[in-house]
Amino acid sequence: MRRNKPLAVLAGAALFGLAACGGSGSNGNDPGGPGRTFSGADAIAKDPQRTAPAADVDGATAGGTITVYLPGDPGPDSLDPTEGWSVTGNSIQQALTSRSLTQYARDPKTGSMVLVPDLATDLGSHNDDYTEWTFTLRDDAKWQDGSTITPEQVAWGITRSMDSDTFPGGPGTEYSQTYFKDAGKYKGPYTDKGKTWDGVSVDGQDITIKMAKPFPDMDYWGAFMAMGPAPLGKASDPPDYGQKIMSNGPYLVESFRPNEELVLVKNDQWDPNSDPARHQYADKWIFKFNQDTAKVDQIMLSDNTESQTALSTRLGSNNYQRANTELGDRLFQQSAQCTSFLSPDYTKITDINVRKALAYAYPYEDMWLATGEVPGVTRVPANSIMPPGMAGKKEFFADGDQFKYDPEKSKALLKEAGYEPGQYKISMIYYEADPLAVAGQKQLVKGFQEAGFTVVNGGYPVQDSPYNIWLNPDDPLNKKLNLRGVNWCSDWPSGLTMIPPLTKTGAAYNTAQFSEPAIDEKMNSITSLPQDQQADAWGALDEEIETKYFPIIPTAFRNDLFVFGSKIGNGVGDGALGAPDYKDLFVVQ
Amino acid sequence: MTAQTAGPETLGHLSDEPPPVDPNSKKAEAITGKSPLRIAFGRLARDKIAVVCAAVVLFFVLVAIFAGVICSIFNVDTETVLATTRVNMLNGGLPKEGPPLHGFDPAHPFGVAPNTGNDNLAFWVYGCRTSLLIASIATLFASVLGVILGLLAGFLGGPVDKVISFFTDFFLTVPFLLAALTLAPIVAERFSTSPNYPRIQLIDLIVVLSMFGWMGIARLIRGEVLSLREREFIQAARVLGMPTSRILVKELLPNLVAPIVVSVSLMLPAFVAAEAGLAYLGIGVTSGISWGQTINTASNFFETYPLFLWEPLIGIVALVLALNLLGDAIRDALDPKTRR
Repeated sequence: MRRNKPLAVLAGAALFGLAACGGSGSNGNDPGGPGRTFSGADAIAKDPQRTAPAADVDGATAGGTITVYLPGDPGPDSLDPTEGWSVTGNSIQQALTSRSLTQYARDPKTGSMVLVPDLATDLGSHNDDYTEWTFTLRDDAKWQDGSTITPEQVAWGITRSMDSDTFPGGPGTEYSQTYFKDAGKYKGPYTDKGKTWDGVSVDGQDITIKMAKPFPDMDYWGAFMAMGPAPLGKASDPPDYGQKIMSNGPYLVESFRPNEELVLVKNDQWDPNSDPARHQYADKWIFKFNQDTAKVDQIMLSDNTESQTALSTRLGSNNYQRANTELGDRLFQQSAQCTSFLSPDYTKITDINVRKALAYAYPYEDMWLATGEVPGVTRVPANSIMPPGMAGKKEFFADGDQFKYDPEKSKALLKEAGYEPGQYKISMIYYEADPLAVAGQKQLVKGFQEAGFTVVNGGYPVQDSPYNIWLNPDDPLNKKLNLRGVNWCSDWPSGLTMIPPLTKTGAAYNTAQFSEPAIDEKMNSITSLPQDQQADAWGALDEEIETKYFPIIPTAFRNDLFVFGSKIGNGVGDGALGAPDYKDLFVVQ
Repeated sequence: MTAQTAGPETLGHLSDEPPPVDPNSKKAEAITGKSPLRIAFGRLARDKIAVVCAAVVLFFVLVAIFAGVICSIFNVDTETVLATTRVNMLNGGLPKEGPPLHGFDPAHPFGVAPNTGNDNLAFWVYGCRTSLLIASIATLFASVLGVILGLLAGFLGGPVDKVISFFTDFFLTVPFLLAALTLAPIVAERFSTSPNYPRIQLIDLIVVLSMFGWMGIARLIRGEVLSLREREFIQAARVLGMPTSRILVKELLPNLVAPIVVSVSLMLPAFVAAEAGLAYLGIGVTSGISWGQTINTASNFFETYPLFLWEPLIGIVALVLALNLLGDAIRDALDPKTRR
């Protein structure tokens, strides 16, 4: 999953991620406030027995309005559950409006996330080789109009996720269209009108999904709102449905203006006894997208009546010191299961020594500073594709030790590859509309230059999200580039959601154009392994790819900072999505 | 069409009303032969505000011209440095030395920028150069264009006047900011791969500014010409068979010096402010150095590092204020009717 608009991928852009509670240590003598360090993610447990209603949060009170400021985040364009594949949109909708087969609940004691049932009564059962999954649905879940959610509607929602042409930005393009039956052949209900698809079948309250190949992570995939119900027939026709969705969670959409505001109010048809993890404490939620970071920082630091019941999903680094000292626990550090990469084009930069030289030429800390990150807190050096906390992740180093900015080593490697300093030319783009990205690019050019590379023109400025260039194979500018980037976050804690989307031949976000048939084959075979061996197998594959080919250069693991108002109760993060834990927030009365 | 009671050519008579003097005295010698402009200049020199403002403007002009020299005197430059060498990454990206946390740092008299470690003095000096360069070139283009079109429209009249007036009105109706916001990305998109990108951006900005800056002066000149062309000396020139171009350049233009000087002196500060405003909005010279851009970055640090914001802000305010007051003073000096 990627963040909605990862504008400055080679620079700083907030991403998203996974579990762990913030490290607010208590070495109180430090004048700079509590010391914070980067925190890795906790593993996600599973609890198939979890029953409704959800346990009450300690001290929770009902009522009040919670305002959520989302600085620099445009939010989703559409609320259609099938289309949602962004941290912002999914974290809000999955917690408040749109239910699916399974969901995550936060364990209040450990702070880690637990996968629990949602519309299904358990986490699903499967056959021996994971090619057929059956979920038994509960019969007491209702839509906002009071009608019961039927298994047919859930099956229809799942069928919709097969339509990659209608929902090009949806997660179904990666998962449904890879693992479900007839993947690649059946193009979805809107594109292949009239065709029937027997990938999902309904029998009473049971839904059975057939796979094209073994898919052991179906229970995690079930936590995506795309694996939830949609009204049958015309009522859910895209794109209109995305502007006016039918809610089945504790809140319903009162108004939605894309890029501006989303207002949610209580849904009185939602029954706590039908839901094992959600709560309905606040009366109203107001999400304000695209806010100005500096403005929101001031609002949150002022602690006036307006900001006491508000929270912000970002903190400017210039206010980090002050916020850390003054806010204490209200500044929450959320680890994100995300990794940032530089992607040297595998078809153009063919020498592994040059790719390694790039890893030594990238001025890590200077980049983070210039792009407004807090080195050591919101960014730390990365060594692997899989982020910290992911099961199976190995502590290996592709070149013997952690890559650091080391111009001499870079020059030496370039020499080995047969290039004099300044001879090797790098073509790349940067996002010009963001002054931070421009500042970051200048640092990068300087770093590369001292390390023996020449950046053509100092990078080509673009006015659009770099992804629009990188992901478009026909773009004339994209054809010129030999260095791209990508920020990637896991969709659930498995190497499956990190390694194939980034390194498989032809994968959408394989911006390095990496292609090795041997590796592709290994990826395919891992999903057929017994489940307890898969995590280690992904870790081993990660190491193999990075040490043998080094196609993408991991530059950073990421943490996010959230600021909670003084009257927001239980201000914590959701480790599965790397967002505030909207399910459990309340207003202290 | 009524003729003005006091055209610019009569300035000398209506001006200071010198007391009657003996035509043979030394004083009389000094008065005789003074052109209207010289008289105006004399008035300017006596205006204290005008002198101070002129000094301030001169200071900025010198800073802009000798930017390189100033930087080398203080041993600073605009080169990008690796951020970690100058800023403290554990402290919200604030500088390791110098303001705001430590005392004066002789190596960087204006301090260094947070997060990036750029030298503030060098950026200030070169930002001044960018501001003045863009403003003066845009003023030059806009006023030349405005004067030419105004002269032609006013003097030739008829269809030429209609066409030129139409374009003047047309450009006046186009909102400047909107046009600039639309044009900048188009140009950026088109030339993003060019190695001369920063220069193209600069030219683009100058073109946009002058394209939307010539209408005022064109209208003004047209109006002046309309009244002047019915005057006796123009009629006489026509009767003598002077070619139109000569009438325009030799007869009309000298009489229009006053309004031109006034509008140019007021156009300059407007362009300085416009350039900074556009840079603040993220268009304009994004890849270069500009006060507006520094302000844009610095506004996030107004609490933690106010000096960073004050430097470019004071630069712009002082320059624009000085230019504006100077422009006012020039207008007062040239126009006896609005004398204070």
